[in-house]
Amino acid sequence: MASVRIANVWKYYGKTVAVKDLNIDCPDGQFLSVLGPSGCGKSSTLRMLAGLEHISAGDIYFGERRVNDLPPKARDIAMVFENYALYPHKTVFENIANPLRLRGTDGATIERKVRAAAKMLEIEHLLDRKPVELSGGQKQRTAIGRAIVREPQLFLFDEPIAHLDAKLRAHMRGELKLMQRRLGTTMIYVTHDQLEAMSMADRIAVMHEGVLQQFGTPQEIYNQPVNEWVAGFVGEPPMNFLDVEVVDEDGRLCLVHPGFRVAVTAAQQALLRQRLSGREARMGIRPDEVRIATATFPGALEARVRVSEPLGGDMLVDAELAGSRLLVKTRPDFTGGMGAPCWVAFDVERWHLFEKPSGVAYF
Amino acid sequence: MASRDVVAYRSPLTTALHVAAGLFVAVYLAWTILPIFIMFVSSFKDLLEAFKLPAVGDWGGVLVFFDFTPTAKHYFNLFGQLNFATYFRNSLAAALGSAVVSVVLGSMCAYALSRIDFRGKKDLFFWIISTRMAPVVAVMVPLYAIFRNLELVGTLPGLILAYTTFNLPFAIWILKGFFDNVPYAIEEAQMCDGATRLQAFRSILPLVAPGIGAFLVLCVLFAWNDFLFASIIGSGGAKTLPVATRELVQPQNIQWGSIMAAGVVTTLPMMLLGLLIRRYLVTGLTMGAVRE
Repeated sequence: MASVRIANVWKYYGKTVAVKDLNIDCPDGQFLSVLGPSGCGKSSTLRMLAGLEHISAGDIYFGERRVNDLPPKARDIAMVFENYALYPHKTVFENIANPLRLRGTDGATIERKVRAAAKMLEIEHLLDRKPVELSGGQKQRTAIGRAIVREPQLFLFDEPIAHLDAKLRAHMRGELKLMQRRLGTTMIYVTHDQLEAMSMADRIAVMHEGVLQQFGTPQEIYNQPVNEWVAGFVGEPPMNFLDVEVVDEDGRLCLVHPGFRVAVTAAQQALLRQRLSGREARMGIRPDEVRIATATFPGALEARVRVSEPLGGDMLVDAELAGSRLLVKTRPDFTGGMGAPCWVAFDVERWHLFEKPSGVAYF
Repeated sequence: MASRDVVAYRSPLTTALHVAAGLFVAVYLAWTILPIFIMFVSSFKDLLEAFKLPAVGDWGGVLVFFDFTPTAKHYFNLFGQLNFATYFRNSLAAALGSAVVSVVLGSMCAYALSRIDFRGKKDLFFWIISTRMAPVVAVMVPLYAIFRNLELVGTLPGLILAYTTFNLPFAIWILKGFFDNVPYAIEEAQMCDGATRLQAFRSILPLVAPGIGAFLVLCVLFAWNDFLFASIIGSGGAKTLPVATRELVQPQNIQWGSIMAAGVVTTLPMMLLGLLIRRYLVTGLTMGAVRE
């Protein structure tokens, strides 16, 4: 087991910068997810941790040990690759046994450990097969088996379930989380799927264009995004953003939009007073933090339904508020049809305001 | 998936083409197999019987060809008096030796060229294959001079080295294609599992085995059938089968029987090799090019 510290790490590919001045601390035994779209530098980061990629600048520490100049072999890590990277000419048993064989473990121990791992992953009946005979989920379990038998101090997972079908992915999310909790090994899990990161990780590092945007618990990332980009990337369906003006009305700050004029709360006002840099800003609100109804109610703003999408348990309403699109998640019994008028209200405690154009959050 | 069968539509033209194709194959088979067949049969004939020929136009006389008492005396002559066992060993050692050296060095070089980017890589790669572009005769004289100064002329190591200079570029080119098709992630997984670079390299060798197998055969064939290198570099101490066979043609006496027997001795091992690894060779040579 080990903590991981990434200190001022940079990664260049030629002149392209893949990772910019990255700083992450992952305490021992935690499940850390590195989240970001493709090309954000998350895989480069993982590969630098594994020792497969040269670190252009900065240091990586496992515990107290600086590992920059250690080859993968000496880092005591186990990595699961996006495409599984199983050895096609070896059976499942030999694939899982490979790290132990490389260490020169004796045959009886190998047999015992491989069987134990296979049992945990429910692939005992597949041990004699070759990778080509396996389904995606089975290959992925084999790859995980190969990672866990060696009992490393650090797990590195590179989008391990990205290629599975949706149902199996949902199943594996729970399984992987359970496995990590049971083994207690530090895990760094790279994914582009915010749902995976949110549901599994203790901490999430959100990356965009090589820069760490935000590092925090899933709740912090979801509830207090530090900028517009994080707010828009995390959450499904994505957050609504509306261009607003911040107007001082008799000492009370209001957000003004062609469709509404709403005062901020006292706490929000205090934050704004300290930092407000201009009149223009972006208001963000999540679809489930907007109330919608077919009849008016106190404080309601008039809008129009563009289209509604029943999702079974929920209803997603795509509404138009004075020329701006607004996605609203509501109960499935919402009856407003296409083009029908509707009334919406924001949960002002929960909305966010971002500076324009930098996108940095005021609150 | 749709069937890959070629649909045949019958018409007078296709029928005629079918007949023509059949005729061509028959003529071609006679052309290629008959000499080998005559060589094989003649090697078991006494010299007098071998030269019994029917008169021109006497087709019934073809049977004369089969009218003989089999004798193995040419083979006894080859291996008894003419030292062919030694030449056979030389041929085998030169062919296998250069094949093994080329595969060992070639696979490492191909691996490096496949995996690592460095300045001048393309030029280096082209230079490697360009060494094969010069005809053997052109390099023979300088090569002979070098080998003579190094006292390699007439030795087996010398002959192996000579073949390797020609086989190695070939090995690198064939094997690089195979290494390119092996996903890099497999070695990375090996290294994360605790392997060194060299161990990771060894672990993917089974994946390029068809390429190595195919190359080994081509390499053995080249060396086994070679005459020029063998007669100049190998002459004296490292005489191989083709050179020894050539020496059976003497100004006064062409030893037809022994030549036929030597031909059989030279041909058979390669035919056996071909049969043994036929399937391997085909998959090996196509796998590098075709990705399925």
